[in-house]
Amino acid sequence: MKLSYNWIKEYVDTGASEEELAQGLTMSGSEVGEMEKNGNDTLMELEITTNRPDCLNIVGLAREAAAVFDKELKTPKADVSEEGKGPAIECVIKSKQLCPRYTARVIAGTRVKAASETIKKHVEAVALRSVNNVVDVTNFCLMEQGQPLHAFDLDKIKGGKIIIREATKGEKIETIDGEMRDLQPGMLVIADKTRPIAVAGIMGGKDTEVTESTKNILLESAYFDPVSVRRTARMLGLSSDSSYRFERGVDKGMIKMASDRATKLIAEETGGKVCELYDIGSLPAEGDTIKFSVEKAGRILGISIETEKAKNIFNRLGITVCEENGPELVVKTPTFREDLTREIDLVEEVARIYGYHNIPAEVTKLIPQVRRKEHEREVLEKLRSILAARGLNEIMTYSLINEAAVKRFSAISKDPVYLNNPVSEEHKIMTPHLLDGMMRSLSWNINRGNKDLGLFEIGKIYSKGAKGKYIEIHTLCIGLTGNLRKNWEEGDRKVHFFDIKGMADTVFKGFKLDPVFEGTKISGLESTTVINLADKETGFIAEVSKKILDAYDIEHPVYVAQIKLDSLIEKTNLANHYHSIPRYPSSSRDVSILCDQSLAAGSVFKAISESGEELIRDIELVDVYTGEQVDPGKKSLTYSIKYGLDTRTLKDEEIESVHSKVKEHLVKKFNVTFR
Amino acid sequence: MIGERNKMDILSKLNDIKDAFEAELNNCSGAQELEEIRVKYTGRKGELTGVLRSLTDLPPEVKKEVGQKANILKKEFEEKVLAAKEKTLEAGSRAKAQTIDVTLPGIKERLGTLHPLTQTMTRINEIFVSLGFRIAEGPEIETEFYNFEALNIPMDHPSRDAFDTFYIEGENLLRSHTSNVQIHVMQNQPPPVQAIMPGRVYRPDAVDATHSFMFHQVEGLMVDKGIRFSDLKGMLSIFCKSMFGQEIEMRLRPHFFPFTEPSAEVDISCIMCKGKGCRVCSGNGWLEILGAGMVNPKVFEAGGYDPEQYTGYAFGMGVERIAMLLYGIEDIRLFYENDVRFLNQFV
Repeated sequence: MKLSYNWIKEYVDTGASEEELAQGLTMSGSEVGEMEKNGNDTLMELEITTNRPDCLNIVGLAREAAAVFDKELKTPKADVSEEGKGPAIECVIKSKQLCPRYTARVIAGTRVKAASETIKKHVEAVALRSVNNVVDVTNFCLMEQGQPLHAFDLDKIKGGKIIIREATKGEKIETIDGEMRDLQPGMLVIADKTRPIAVAGIMGGKDTEVTESTKNILLESAYFDPVSVRRTARMLGLSSDSSYRFERGVDKGMIKMASDRATKLIAEETGGKVCELYDIGSLPAEGDTIKFSVEKAGRILGISIETEKAKNIFNRLGITVCEENGPELVVKTPTFREDLTREIDLVEEVARIYGYHNIPAEVTKLIPQVRRKEHEREVLEKLRSILAARGLNEIMTYSLINEAAVKRFSAISKDPVYLNNPVSEEHKIMTPHLLDGMMRSLSWNINRGNKDLGLFEIGKIYSKGAKGKYIEIHTLCIGLTGNLRKNWEEGDRKVHFFDIKGMADTVFKGFKLDPVFEGTKISGLESTTVINLADKETGFIAEVSKKILDAYDIEHPVYVAQIKLDSLIEKTNLANHYHSIPRYPSSSRDVSILCDQSLAAGSVFKAISESGEELIRDIELVDVYTGEQVDPGKKSLTYSIKYGLDTRTLKDEEIESVHSKVKEHLVKKFNVTFR
Repeated sequence: MIGERNKMDILSKLNDIKDAFEAELNNCSGAQELEEIRVKYTGRKGELTGVLRSLTDLPPEVKKEVGQKANILKKEFEEKVLAAKEKTLEAGSRAKAQTIDVTLPGIKERLGTLHPLTQTMTRINEIFVSLGFRIAEGPEIETEFYNFEALNIPMDHPSRDAFDTFYIEGENLLRSHTSNVQIHVMQNQPPPVQAIMPGRVYRPDAVDATHSFMFHQVEGLMVDKGIRFSDLKGMLSIFCKSMFGQEIEMRLRPHFFPFTEPSAEVDISCIMCKGKGCRVCSGNGWLEILGAGMVNPKVFEAGGYDPEQYTGYAFGMGVERIAMLLYGIEDIRLFYENDVRFLNQFV
């Protein structure tokens, strides 16, 4: 909404400078943005909230200023009397729902030409283009009091008929802006006998537009259903000063008055004769009666306000105080304030004008509550700190991804959620995995010369569940590539599968959980290993396949882990219980076995732990060897086993004996030899 | 006088031992040798011990005198060996220091980082948690009811313009604000309520330096008997000062949100220019950072609370906006590009 400083002064004398006026309006809710000098005037750009269509005109803003500065408001007057008869016309409303009231005034014998300086100056003061004296007057009145008006060239209306109806299928209209518009049922139009001549409340038709040759005018002032105007404007992709106001709701009490005001001005400007007014349909225009307690308002706001002060604020805003019983009031709202329907709305009016800045800032109430364990949040926070402490960078990626990214990892993209109205093809599916975001982030950095990366994200993955429910699961994704420990001493050591496996294992160990890793196959991924937690699949680790790497323009190997955190969160017990530290020392014995390369280290580990259970405290694989010193097809695995007992120190003989048992067990089970 | 002569013999023997000890000590060159010397002279089977053992046949007063002497000598030997050992160690470490180039860089450890939005959200959460708020969360995939209707945003109303929304099948959509969680909280617990609700929200905006179709918000809700607009102002003032600094000014401007009445937009004095006016605050000295207001009675009705009994306030803020101000970030896209040169600045 554009406001001219000089123009508003015609209705209220606040004595305020441009800056003071802007400040006053801003702090009462009509936010003034840009201010621009315009000759001896200042043009202000205001942001008017959707609940205040009454501020989309200069008188409305003058009313606000009058309340803020506590000054008198002068409203424009309009008295017209019919001076004779013009060409006869018949007006019919076919769709009362969408147009409850329609008025049309005939002004005959007009001379259309450039508008007078006064009108022109006003129209241009709010950055509108001056067209001719008729169009300028309708614009002037729109800006002055907010009622959109439209003037037709009466002689171009066919069949002497105005019909307000819905458009029929296939109807078209060329609007004033020269565009041909396809209309459809549901859209309200003003039609003559043969065709639509205006899209109701949005824009008039080219054919019946007022031009310099127009002799007789039909001036429309009406009320159109806000929802219908809004829908039609959206469907046509056409918004105008008129539709902007109709869809927010114009003043139901202003329709006839606005018509009279414009009629008077058009008659003056064009020398035309004021003829019949057709006023059809009916639209009750009455405000609401609301009880208002000054005391209650003070309680809600945290101030004590005098009844007189509240009454004065109401008065300035055009709200009538009908009854008064001490601080208990009954007020009637004006027709231009349909946003005021309940007491709380009036509390806001008082607060606005009283000034939010005059309300104290004081916390008088806090609610003591037992700190609930926010378990999930605590687990996620701990997880973040574990990963950051491992030297990884946390990333955040878009939850909306493209179709290709879903298909690329189809095996882990079950029942994805599609948007009906995506802004782009790139972001149209709620991501069913975190791999796309991870791969993009890795790629972004690699392409900028940073090839050694350890990233993690804790985000959500989304899918469609049963019975129209949607599932959102907190999920962790880790991505490793390049060399994360490059230093002058150890040289170049590229990350590999066992780095991601170790990282995933560390995550679970951080929550005292023991995951089980098991090989599987997922397309697009290699060496894929699922992670089971208490027999439930909870994620996987893998190397990304060459084909997928190509899709993300990455040349180097990338290792990823994706872990759904629902099970981890559920199984984690953050309450720690202390176990006494072993009182008696452990003794270590190494065993180097020689076995077929195909023998899984995991099963050797398992066999060791089964064999001498009681006394084994820890088993660690310390070396894996293949090469010259062992036969082809063979490998050597060296384990360091710690033996101990909680009740006493083990004797050497006991350790030797159990260690031999472990070795025998391995021989029996896998037919291994020892080095 | 046998005792006297023996005494002299033994004393001279002690002198001999002392001479020998010192000679050996002076010629010794390592910790290992020092240990050998210690054992040789003062050990259990050492020379001094030998002398002491040979005293058994002597008269008590001689035994005493010689014994004292020998013990003093033993102590002296031990101290000298210890001093010599320390010297050797020092010399050793000096020698060692000369063999490594201490100016070589240390072995690098990777410093991990938390995302700046995580850090900002944590900071916001901590401020409110310290004031007694609990943290609640709600779904991102929502229904019309929770995102709109319950919050007094009717269908086909211009007030929806501010909440352009991504739709999925049926009544479902991606929440366009975290205000949906207000309703879930009200449905899940009776008043009073004091909670904040952080989360991810979506709006179909084209991406540019200041717009993103996905961003984060933190919503706040306080409901009880007798909660007042002045409480809201007080709480927000504490928050703004905690977040941006003690010297920050705050102002509330009347605004419109369908779910609050009265409603306000909250500005803080520009943290860049201290309110003088600069590019960041478009020259007016104020930065808008929050929306707030008293909970609209219609929202209480939708959430199942009695608006006659309870009042409350609600507020909401954009996490990206706050992080951008806090860190001086000028392009919102940086948060989602995840460039490590950006991320590594947030150690």
